[in-house]
Amino acid sequence: MATLSLALMGTRAGSAQSLPSGPLELANGQVTVAADIAATIGARDDAAPPECPRRCGAFFNYTDYEHNALRMFRVSFSGAWRPSRRLAFLTEIRSEDRERFRPYALYVRVRPWTTHAFDVQAGRIPPVFGAYSRHVYGPDNWLIGQPLAYQYLTSLRPSAIPASADDLLVMRGRGWLARYPVGSPASGPGVPIISAYQWDVGIEASVATKHIDAAAAVTSGTLSNPRVDDDNDGRQISARVGWKPVVGLVIGGSYAHGEWLNGALRDSLSSVIHSGQRYPQEAFGLDAEYSRDYWLVRGEFIRSRWRLPALSSPFIHGPLDATAAFVESRYRFTPRLFAAARLDGLRFSRISGEKVFSGVPTTWDAPVGRVEAGGGVYIQRNLTVRAVVQRNWRDGGFIHKRTFVSGQIAFWF
Amino acid sequence: MKLMHALTILTCAALLLGSAQREQRSRTVTGTIRGRIDVRTSGTTELRPDVAALGMHAAHDRPDRRRSVVYLETAPRGAFDPSEEPRASMDQLNENFVPHVLPIIAGTTVDFPNDDATYHSVFSLSKAKPFNLGRYAAGRSKSVRFDQPGIVRVFCDIHSHMNAFILVFAHRYFTVTDDDGRYRLPNVPAGSYTLTVWNETVRGDAPRRAIAIAAEGADVDADFTIR
Repeated sequence: MATLSLALMGTRAGSAQSLPSGPLELANGQVTVAADIAATIGARDDAAPPECPRRCGAFFNYTDYEHNALRMFRVSFSGAWRPSRRLAFLTEIRSEDRERFRPYALYVRVRPWTTHAFDVQAGRIPPVFGAYSRHVYGPDNWLIGQPLAYQYLTSLRPSAIPASADDLLVMRGRGWLARYPVGSPASGPGVPIISAYQWDVGIEASVATKHIDAAAAVTSGTLSNPRVDDDNDGRQISARVGWKPVVGLVIGGSYAHGEWLNGALRDSLSSVIHSGQRYPQEAFGLDAEYSRDYWLVRGEFIRSRWRLPALSSPFIHGPLDATAAFVESRYRFTPRLFAAARLDGLRFSRISGEKVFSGVPTTWDAPVGRVEAGGGVYIQRNLTVRAVVQRNWRDGGFIHKRTFVSGQIAFWF
Repeated sequence: MKLMHALTILTCAALLLGSAQREQRSRTVTGTIRGRIDVRTSGTTELRPDVAALGMHAAHDRPDRRRSVVYLETAPRGAFDPSEEPRASMDQLNENFVPHVLPIIAGTTVDFPNDDATYHSVFSLSKAKPFNLGRYAAGRSKSVRFDQPGIVRVFCDIHSHMNAFILVFAHRYFTVTDDDGRYRLPNVPAGSYTLTVWNETVRGDAPRRAIAIAAEGADVDADFTIR
């Protein structure tokens, strides 16, 4: 009889995960609280070369809350209270760059029949359009930057508009701080095609089967301008249908249509535009995701169309179109190590001015291209360190090209 | 011919010696350690608030966190004798690893069949055995051999609430509790041991107790309460 070996070699359960790995639980599991914390470092995106006027940086990665996606400290807490199997209350609050916490999501989820995957959500709800806006965070975003369609600020603003095509063309590539003669006189950021940083208020219903997911929503804002309050008495209708023909493949199609122009601005123009005339944002999108073994590939194609009043010559004839597409992929080499890349583009329709560009038809905003590639390491399951290199091209604005290097440490539980 | 005779004698001697050793082993005095582990904490659900989802999360089974593993911290001689290569299975069923706790002996190959209609991606970052099986669909299985003793925490890369534990032991003196928390560790040779309980809800030092199997062999009762 002899002592030969420790059975588990002195290993304890705690050594497998040294930081919390699951959500906090209260009220006997009815209430769960989780957190996402990400610290991102990178070069400034607003640095101006000497020949530029004040604040004429590149602003390739500015978000609609005027923060740099590649240089941000973000803390978010999410919570759920599930008093029953049919009812849940969910919320998320978030702070970026140590500013005050803002409510990002706050809604109730109801499942009328527990035997059917049919749900109704009301409040500040997740968008049904596309796929990316529902996995922006933590492990769902393999890189650090966001796709252009969901982040890049175009020169359009719902509360201030160009009177003529020249007014709009002057603002090409200046979506970070656009200014127009009609509406709000202050300079302000433009809107992305779809805001990944704000959610809309409304009601949504969804149904899921083995091969089909479908959801539709009525909300107060639009894809590019989600709103808590309704500022134009218009509603957006949006829908997405997803098809899962085989395990690992998801194909989706989305549509959205909603009044976009600020109501007060529209009313102020009642003497020059037709009564009852609507100025909506309309968009359709295709998304797909395929995964197998250690690969995951996904992409989206989005076409958005805004209508503006034609106020003075040279007139903006017809709608303003924007087309965005991206494809991204991740490969996991080892349990800890992964690499990812995204190819991204944003294009615009053409308009003709008189003084600006000498009347030559020109895209109403500056087309943008972006490549982002990088990799990361899982320190533990819910703690990652990653680094990316991002190259941007823009056919307009003060700065046409810029490369950024960014690093991030992210933890979630 | 002399060589043949010598070989025959040696073979017979070896067979007799082996038979004698087996006889002696079968006559070794052993006892059974048994008892109940009363786990009075349920642990966490691991299901994060799914704020970005468009509906209720699909129903899935919850892991049984009341299962404990009872083992001898030190093992008697002979506990490490090699046997045939052991095999075990950890299923992916209803977005849950089954069993949630799997104790095995070092050298065991564990199969990870996917019996769900969706992808799973089983991985572990544990020092004892890091592995990543990638995404594979229903009906397929991949396997991993565990050679190093330790605790291996298993996750799914797609479903963050899915997790499990594989406890890899250097010897065979371990068992897992049943639905009522009862356990039975048979054929423990006479001697003094430290009996230890592992449960995932335990923070800090694992509950343990000194146990003695008398020279004439006897059953020993050892109950534990985990709060």
